[in-house]
Order: sequence, then C-alpha cells, then structure tokens
Amino acid sequence: MVKFTAEELRKIMDYKHNIRNMSVIAHVDHGKSTLTDSLVAAAGIIAQEVAGDVRMTDTRADEAERGITIKSTGISLYYEITDEALKNYKGERQGNEYLINLIDSPGHVDFSSEVTAALRITDGALVVVDCVEGVCVQTETVLRQALGERIRPVLTVNKMDRCFLELQVDGEEAYQTFSRVIENANVIMATYEDPLLGDVQVYPEKGTIAFSAGLHGWAFTLTNFAKMYASKFGVDESKMMERLWGENFFDPATKKWTTKNTGSATCKRGFVQFCYEPIRQIISTCMNDQKDKLWPMLQKLGVTMKSEEKDLMGKALMKRVMQTWLPASTALLEMMIFHLPSPATAQKYRVENLYEGPLDDIYATAIRNCDPEGPLMLYVSKMIPASDKGRFFAFGRVFSGKVSTGLKVRIMGPNYVPGEKKDLYVKSVQRTVIWMGKRQETVEDVPCGNTVAMVGLDQFITKNATLTNEKEVDAHPIRAMKFSVSPVVRVAVQCKVASDLPKLVEGLKRLAKSDPMVVCTMEESGEHIVAGAGELHLEICLKDLQDDFMGGAEIIKSDPVVSFRETVLEKSSRTVMSKSPNKHNRLYMEARPLEDGLAEAIDDGRIGPRDDPKVRSKILSEEFGWDKDLAKKIWCFGPETTGPNMVVDMCKGVQYLNEIKDSVVAGFQWASKEGALAEENMRGICFEVCDVVLHADAIHRGGGQVIPTARRVIYASQITAKPRLLEPVYLVEIQAPEQALGGIYSVLNQKRGHVFEEMQRPGTPLYNIKAYLPVVESFGFSSTLRAATSGQAFPQCVFDHWDMMSSDPLESGSQASQLVADIRKRKGLKEQMTPLSEFEDKL
Amino acid sequence: MEFESRYEISRTAEFIRGGNFTKAALQFPDELLKDSVRIVSSLRDELRRVGESDAERDGNAKDASLFVMADTAYGSCCVDEVGASHVGADCVVHYGHACLSPTSKLPAFYVFGKAPMSVSDCVKNLVDHAMTSGKPVLVLFGLEYAHLIQNIREEVVEACESRPQLEIQFAEVLCSEMNPPDKQNICNQGMVPAGILTDDKSFETLPGTRYGIGGLVWKLREGRKMEDSLLFWIGSDNSAFANVVLTFNGCEIVRYDATENCMVTDFSQQKRILKRRYYLVEKAKDANIIGILVGTLGVAGYLRMINQMKELTAAAGKKAYTLVVGRPNPAKLANFPECDVFIYVSCAQTALLDSKEYLSPVITPFEAMLAFNSRTLSVPHQLKLNISSTRDTQWTGAYVMEFRDLITSSLTESRSHSKEARFSFLQGGYVEDFDNQENDEEDEEGALALANATEKALQLRDTANSLVKRTVKSGAEFLATRSYQGLEIHNKNSLPEPYLKGRSGRAAGYLDEKSEKENF
Repeated sequence: MVKFTAEELRKIMDYKHNIRNMSVIAHVDHGKSTLTDSLVAAAGIIAQEVAGDVRMTDTRADEAERGITIKSTGISLYYEITDEALKNYKGERQGNEYLINLIDSPGHVDFSSEVTAALRITDGALVVVDCVEGVCVQTETVLRQALGERIRPVLTVNKMDRCFLELQVDGEEAYQTFSRVIENANVIMATYEDPLLGDVQVYPEKGTIAFSAGLHGWAFTLTNFAKMYASKFGVDESKMMERLWGENFFDPATKKWTTKNTGSATCKRGFVQFCYEPIRQIISTCMNDQKDKLWPMLQKLGVTMKSEEKDLMGKALMKRVMQTWLPASTALLEMMIFHLPSPATAQKYRVENLYEGPLDDIYATAIRNCDPEGPLMLYVSKMIPASDKGRFFAFGRVFSGKVSTGLKVRIMGPNYVPGEKKDLYVKSVQRTVIWMGKRQETVEDVPCGNTVAMVGLDQFITKNATLTNEKEVDAHPIRAMKFSVSPVVRVAVQCKVASDLPKLVEGLKRLAKSDPMVVCTMEESGEHIVAGAGELHLEICLKDLQDDFMGGAEIIKSDPVVSFRETVLEKSSRTVMSKSPNKHNRLYMEARPLEDGLAEAIDDGRIGPRDDPKVRSKILSEEFGWDKDLAKKIWCFGPETTGPNMVVDMCKGVQYLNEIKDSVVAGFQWASKEGALAEENMRGICFEVCDVVLHADAIHRGGGQVIPTARRVIYASQITAKPRLLEPVYLVEIQAPEQALGGIYSVLNQKRGHVFEEMQRPGTPLYNIKAYLPVVESFGFSSTLRAATSGQAFPQCVFDHWDMMSSDPLESGSQASQLVADIRKRKGLKEQMTPLSEFEDKL
Repeated sequence: MEFESRYEISRTAEFIRGGNFTKAALQFPDELLKDSVRIVSSLRDELRRVGESDAERDGNAKDASLFVMADTAYGSCCVDEVGASHVGADCVVHYGHACLSPTSKLPAFYVFGKAPMSVSDCVKNLVDHAMTSGKPVLVLFGLEYAHLIQNIREEVVEACESRPQLEIQFAEVLCSEMNPPDKQNICNQGMVPAGILTDDKSFETLPGTRYGIGGLVWKLREGRKMEDSLLFWIGSDNSAFANVVLTFNGCEIVRYDATENCMVTDFSQQKRILKRRYYLVEKAKDANIIGILVGTLGVAGYLRMINQMKELTAAAGKKAYTLVVGRPNPAKLANFPECDVFIYVSCAQTALLDSKEYLSPVITPFEAMLAFNSRTLSVPHQLKLNISSTRDTQWTGAYVMEFRDLITSSLTESRSHSKEARFSFLQGGYVEDFDNQENDEEDEEGALALANATEKALQLRDTANSLVKRTVKSGAEFLATRSYQGLEIHNKNSLPEPYLKGRSGRAAGYLDEKSEKENF
C-alpha cells in the first residue's frame, strides 16, 4: 500500500504520459478480483489515515457473500519504476512515477453493462484467462467489446498455481495448454482487428503476456526470466526472450539451443527448462518443507527472506517465497506501463470512435492531443450512488481540458442534438472528487486523461452525458455507449404498504439512474415493472431498490413476467371487412407473416421508416423478394412507428384513400401495440389494405370513423391468419466437464431447451455446450443446473431470438390458449379473447 | 297507490306548488321513460287537486304546465338545465338515480324512486359484519334505498341493545331538493336529521369532520379517520359505489346487494380500477396536447373548472383545446387524434370513463392536477398530495371525484420548478418536456430566429413523405405532419367535371350493393 495525500496524488495526475487507465476484464471466476487485490495490496493508493484497511474492490456485502463482482470498482495504483527497468522503454515519459487507474469489472454476463461503462473510460485492458479453463464465452464477449472501443489488451494466464499444485502437469504439457489458450485469445483479437489500433495480438516473447497466480500473489513475464538469464548466457535480453517461448529447445548436456527437440532426454523446450521447471522446483521444495535445499536455491536466485518468514511451513512458506521472488505487482504493472498506452497515446486513435462531431474541429483536436489547456470534454459513464441517500456522483473520464470545482458546464444528454436545446443543461459542478481507496477526496481540479467523480450534477444527468465548458456551444457530444445485453427479465413490484407508493416511485427513478441496464416502466394495468438483463441482475437491483433507494420500505415482487409477441403463421384465410361505426365506410384487409429475417432487419434498423424509399425498396426486393413497386407502398411501421410490423397499400384506384391514410396508420399503431390475443406487441405481421369503400362526404370518413375501424379490421385479419405467440429464447452457453453432461442434458430437456452445439475444448476435459432455452423456463435454471451437476456446470444466458410457439391459441385447451388466458388475467382483461365476430362485419 | 308513493307524486306536487313554479320540466332517464306518461297524468291530477284546495283558500291559483325531458346530452344523473331552459321551465323534477351535483341556475327536486329490500336480512348482515370486524361501521347506501334507512336504523338499534360495543353510524341524504347557490338554500324536506346512532341529540354540536360523497353526508368524530371505519354499502354496484371505492380506497368496504340479498366482499376489480387510473395519470404526464371535454353544462362551477384546467395545462407547457361533444364515445373522440389525453369535466359519477376502447385516455380533473402540477397545492381536508422535491406530484392514493372539492384547492406557489428531466414510466426513462425549451427561447430570439424558422420549414417538408410521426405540441403542427391535410383545389383543370350519376339507396346498403349481396 502506498500512503498518499490528495495533493500528492493530484500532482501525478498532471503527467499525462505517466498515466495508465485500464480495466480488468475476464470470464466470471477467472480471478479478476483476486488478482486486482494482490495488485492493490502492493501498490494501491490509499489515504494516509486509513492505511491497513485491505479489502478494496468487492466493496458490497452481497459481492463478498456471493463471491462475484457486481459493480465495477475503480482504484488507483502508484508505481515507481526503476531506471534500470525503463532502459528499454521507448515511449514518452515524465519521470519514473506512474499512476495506474484500474477498474475491476464484473465477469457475469448479467452485469456486462458495467464492463461497457468501464471500457469507455479506460485505454487498456488486462484480460485475465484461467490457464485450465482457457478462453470462455464471456472472455470473448468482453474482448470484442474492448476492441470495439479501441482498447489495447494485454493478457495474463492466471491460476498458474493450479498447474503446479492441483493438476501437477509436466512442463511440456503445461506449455501446450498455455500456448493453446494464447492462440485462442489471439484468434479472437485478430477477428476484431482494427488498422488504427495496429496489431493487438499478444505474444509472450514480446512481454504482452504474463503468467500469474492471483491467489498466491505472484506473476512473471518472460522479461523477468530473460533478464535473469541474459547475463548468464551472455546474450541480448530480447534475444533471450525469444528463446524462452516457441520452438526453441535447450539441451543442458550439450549446452546447445536447437529449434527442434533433439530427442535426447535432457533436451527441453526453453520455456520449460528456464521458466516452468525452476518454479516447479521451488514450489515443490517449499511444499515438502525441504528447507535445507531451499535456501541455497533462493540465494542463487538472489531472493532474500526475512528471518521470521523462514519459520513458515508448507503453503504459507511457498506463498511467501514466490511473492518475494516473482511479485505479481512488479510483473503486471511493468507490463501495463510498457505495453498499454497512456491517455495521450490512446486518445490519438480513439478520438474517431469517441467524438460525434467533425474530426477537425477544436474539440476533436483537443481530445486527440489530450490537451489540458483545451476545451473541456468529459464523458460521464455511470452514476455512482453516494452515501448520502438519493444522491449520485457522476463518474467519468476527462478527455481534454480540466474540470474543476465550481466550473459551469454544459451537460449534453443522450438525446441532445447539436444546435437544439433538447436534453441540454448548464449547471455548475459543486465538487470534483477523486477516489483514494474507499475514501473520496475533494480536489481543486482534475486534468484530462484521468477519471473523476462530480457532485451536484446528478439531477441533470440521467445515465450518461458529455460535459463541456459553458461557452462551448458548438461542441458535439461524445458517442453514446452500446450495450451488448438487453433487459428481458421483468418483474412487477409493488409496495407492501400502499402509502409507500411515493417512496417506490422515487426509488425506481433512482434505480434507473444508477444502472444503465435497468428499465423501470409501467404496465397498462398500473403495475410498476422493473426489467433487467438476467435473473441475478434483477435480484441485485431489487435489493438495491429496497435497501438503498427506498430506505428499507418493503416491496412485494411478482414472479418474473415474460413479455410475448403476437404474430401470424399464414396469410389470412379470406379478406376481412369491418364497417365504421356509422356503417358508411368499409375497410378490407389481409394479414400475412413478414418474410424470414425481415423483422430482424427492422429491429436492427436496416429497414426503417427513416430510410430512403429507394434504398428500402432495393433491400426489400433483393433480399426479401418483394415487388419493387409494392415496397414503395409501405404506409408505416409499428408499434411506435419503428416496430417490426407494417401496413402496405394494395388497393387499386380507390378514391379518397389518401385522406384516410393517417387514420389507418393511427389505428395500426394502436392495434400493433396491443394485439388481439393478449394485448402483447405484434411482431412480423404485414397488413395489406386490399380495398376501401368510403362515404362521399368527408365528414363521414373522418378519424373518428376510420381509426376504430382500422383497429378492428387489423384484429380481424390477425385472427383469420392463424395467430401465434412468439416467446423469447435465450442462447445458453454452458461449460462443464464430461461427467456433468448427462445432468445438463436432462435439465435442458426438462426445461424445453435444446442443444445445438457441443464441443470439447481442445486439450481440456471441458465441454462447451450451446443451447436454446425459452426465457419462461429460465427462472431457477442456474440453480437447478448446479444441483443436477453438483455445481460443475455454469450457464450464461443472453437473449437471442423470438421463437414461435407451435400450439394454436385459438384452440381452447391448448398450451398457448392457457398462456393467453394467464396474460389476460394478469393484465386485468376479460379472460376470454374477443371473438372474431366483434371485429369482422358482414356486408 | 303504490305507483304514486314510489314516484312521490304528492311531495312533487307540493314542491311545485310551494315554489309557485309555472313550468316544470320532468327529467327521466331512459329506463323510467316508460312511466313518464302515467307520472305526468297523476301529477297533473294531484296538482289540480291541491290547486283547487288552494284556490278555495286564496283564489289565485294558476296551472303549472309540465314537460317531459328525456335523452339528456350528458349523464342522466345530472339535472339537464340547458334542456329545461329550452322550454323556459323554472324548475326541474329529476327522476331516478342522481348524483346530486349542485345545479347552477334552476331549483331541482329529486325523486329517487323506492327500491324494495329485505330490511331484516340487511340488518342481520350488517350486525354480523360489525361484530366480526370490530371496527366502527359507517353505512352508506344507494339513493333508491334512502326511504328504508329509517327502518334499518330502528332495527339496528333494537339488535344492538344487547351489544353496546357496536358502533354503527348512518350517512344521511343531503337533501331531495336543490336550489342553485344564489338562492336561499332550503333543505328541510322530509328527511330525518342526521345523527350518530349512539348519541342522537348532540349531533349539531359535536365537533368532527364532515364528509360527503354523491349526495350522502356524515360526520366523523374528532380524531377519527375514515380509514378506521368499515364502510357498509347498501345497493348495487353502480358508478356511485365505484366512486365510494375510489375515494375511500384506504377503507375496508363491503357491499350488501339488496336485489340478490347477499354480501359482496371481493373488490379486486375496483382496486384494479384504481391502479389503472394511476397508469392513466402517468400517461397523461407524457401528453403534449390536451383536450378538455365539457361533460356538463349544469353542475355548478363547471366553467371555473374548465378555466382552471386551461390554466393548469398552459402552466405545464402543454396545449389545451376545449371540446364540446356531448356524451363522449370512442368514435367522437377519435376525430381528435392529435389529443394525447382528454380531461373530462363532468359530474362525479360520469367522470370515470373506462377509456380502454378510446384512442386516447380520458381522465378526471383531479387526475389532470396530479399529472400536470408542478406546484404545491393547498388541498382540502381529506386530500393529501405529497409534493416531492422533484417536479412531479406524487400520488399517495387519495382520490377526489367531485371537482367542487378541487376548485377550493388554490394554486399558491408561483411556478418555479427546476429544469430536471422528468421520469416517464411509460418510456422507462428520463424524458424532457417541451416547456423547458420554450422558456429559453426568448433569450436568443434575434440571432437564432431565422435559423430556427428555416430549420422548422425544412423539417416540415421532410415529414411530408416520411413515415415517421414526430412529437407535436399543437394542433397546427399535428396537421402539418399529416399526409393528408384537407381538400386540395385543383387549379390546373378549370373545366367543369362531367356529369356523373351517383349511388342511390341508404348508406347502410346502397342499391347497387344489394344486387352484389345476392351474388354471395
């Protein structure tokens, strides 16, 4: 631990070349937090007064209890590097003092929005991979996200101790495992390569890969060993590093390097000979308490132990010895300093990704140069609840300029459009705060390249925002973050005591602010709905809601509510007609399903109301086989004018049709939001207006007559086109050893899931299983799976697609009709569906 | 004679004679219209009889002419003063279910009708419930059972003699005769004076809070809240009852159905209505264009209420249009698709419209106040609004149906809300209201005005052929976003159109379609 005062810390913040902002990302349970803790223990900056308080990253009680990270935590590290170590460093630097702002992020997929927020404000990433489990699902996800944000990665192969203690693999086998892990990671990185960022693949011989044992607090890069041996062999350090990895073999008997295994018993791979074996020897001597052998070995390595440490035995001794010999902090921090970019370097190429405005204006230039004298550009990535109930710190990164206490800033929200006044506020920053361990320290100002928390802006920032100086009216905002998960699991909440309603409302607002992935909405029936990315996420959110945002007022939560979609299977069996209330107008319509993939294209925004009609008709005719002219006759999309349903005009030569278009559109928006089956949104339905008979007097074909009629005829055409329900389906990825597969399959079967991919991880006993699982069935899935596989299988669920339920909701007694009845009951509607005769009229 | 007592012919005649009215309008709801002829003839007989005896006494008798009114423009529970004015009537006799909203111009006499009920059964249920709940019981009833309340009360007293711990209180009917506020309010007709059962005489002097709903009044003793009592409703599940459930949603309520002779204790449906209204309030917060529906032309103070609503919406930065469409229905209101929400200013018992079938929701003035108010309200006794630090008013569950109670709540604090974004539960996020932008607009009028104007012009053209519906804040803008904006005059072709033969027959089925139908 490094004891600092706020002033001292503030001083280092000015050296923009000596700052590293980095996040630690990995699959869940690969040891991010443990590794971070060992770094913090060595180099963490804490306020002078609270030295000794160790636990740093998992600050919440529930995090410690569950053993997972939920919220990303920022922590500053200080490292003073020796001149000796720096002699190969080519980049710019200002002295030997380095400030490393590290953000530990959660690994569970439910919290990947936290990872997204962390990546935005950092420039480098330490990717942690379990040396046995290798590259997992979430490793790939976060890597992809990181590269998308132009974050340069370095890798650490973690949990090395498992190789030595648990699995006891020999050197060559271990080498093969490691190189496979590294190869897998490199394959992913190569896929998302970006010319501006350059080669992002990692190589042990270049020092961009470390090998670590977070639990025991030791780590090394090949640099460490190369230094050690370079003088011994009398070769250059970099030459030595190359020999320590790859197809380089050394035979101590002949004292010769070869590029092939000569076959002799003493010939071993460089890595095995010089890195793996020495470590293995030390560890085994320690574990066997062969102290007489140990001390001379340590002396040879130049490791001196304190006398009281010499009395330790077994594991404790081993830990101590390894920590002294290969301290994790030195290896990892030097790797970060050498291979991760400083803000000044990173912002040169990140500016394109970050700034929405023209890349040659003063704001882009200031970001590019990381100019502390330039205009303020600050991105607020998350809101952190303050200890003062109901208030938030706005946490973000200064990209250019300085933010100071009392500064008046322009706050550009996510909906801000340059030149307009929407979502724009001017407010002063009450205080600028930096974190020192768990404590917040107020500082005068914070220059670019650093992270900062601000007080007094929480009322004006909803989730994220861009801040500039008050007078910078022509600045464009920094691009909004894109999240990889979406909130699909929903519960209805209500308060136990009715009079707590205002507390609940206030609490929900705060909850929505504190987590970018939570959506608080309201159902038509007046129920408050909280939606989250997964079951775990939701559980945590509701706990926060009750304890932190509502002051402990009790809430009742419903069972998870899954929203369905309504669609049709075929074209309407006949053209249906509805008459207006005054019987003077008639609308004829048919419904048909949209072509495969079209609904998804609308979801993705490839096809939408804002398209150029020519482009749209091109896509529709080429990819979906539409008639070119027909594509021009789309009246609207819906619901909310952008949804995956549409109305197409198929009429020929109908008089006054243009007059009722708006009314039909209004009726369609209404109907597509609340389908005829259970008032769920419609999806993938195309409504064709076949014919229209209108009264000759304009007054009798007004909105009042046509809007309700359009709604009725849409319902009628939906019901006659074999309506079906769509249910949301998760893509589940499970990783488990072979013996657990049986359990996994039986649980999946029981839950209506089906496996579509099963793959053994090369070189491991582990299998990767990919399956589809209906969201409805996913509640309690994790715990059932754990129980069925004695805790060996770990699932990750991400919403994937909508799946049609084959049973007919119109057939009484079918599964779908039961479902419809349940939904209608929950919504307080009549349990019986409105019959077709209510919607369709006869001539 | 049973008929005459049911329609209180003699008391009605007394009222007409007593007020020296010359033209009386008799207002019937649709279901009683069939009896109107008999009522008129017996009333005329009765008037003549009384008139003759009067003439014998002082000799200046004049005949009162009677008019039957039906098919009221608004709710049939209100006195149709406008209809009565058409014939120049100087009083109205209202038959059937009434909301007893105060009238603004004409004196009115109410005949509720007398519905039969098994008194002993009702009393038995009442006492049983009072025993089991242990709470003080307040008895409320549908006005058609008002004539039996005295009997019930007597039987209850008898039944309670053995159990002195029971506390049963009866509400009273306000009056059966109503005078507009400017005239002297005489309310001495027929009905027994109000009182608390356990202590009859001290009613007038007893300190306490006076409550009233739908023509019923009662007083609660000092220090007692409505939430402490059990409400016992005698009557059917009509709008009057729905009002009671909504207004006193904190109370335990049971209903005795007099026609079925049974108790109903499950009101999940009513609770659901309350939640649904809450949703509508949230929805109204997102609205930009408001339609104020005039739902009454009689209830005292309606004009003031309409004006208050206009001020309210203007203060909230929204645009309001006042519409008079008679009794609203989905087709009528869909003619105003630009309105995001309608405020229905009407008597308390017609105000609650289940607007599920409507394109835009219809809310009550009280709900509008909840939704649009960013200021502190000084509110009447039972109404509590919790004004949170942020800009929206929070609803604590209290509900006010009658807008008379709302008028008294004056808007005190001047407009000074912070510019924080408002949280919209419909969109699940923070949204910004338009008024925020407008406030600033004056500042930079000069420099940006031209730019803004051109920008708007550009936007307008853009929407003409795009499928996107923009958010609009006035009717004119809405029209601009429509693809069809009215009849276009074709200047190009000035030649007269050739003569065409039109269709003939009725609109429900023209002659040329008849033949088509035969083909099917």
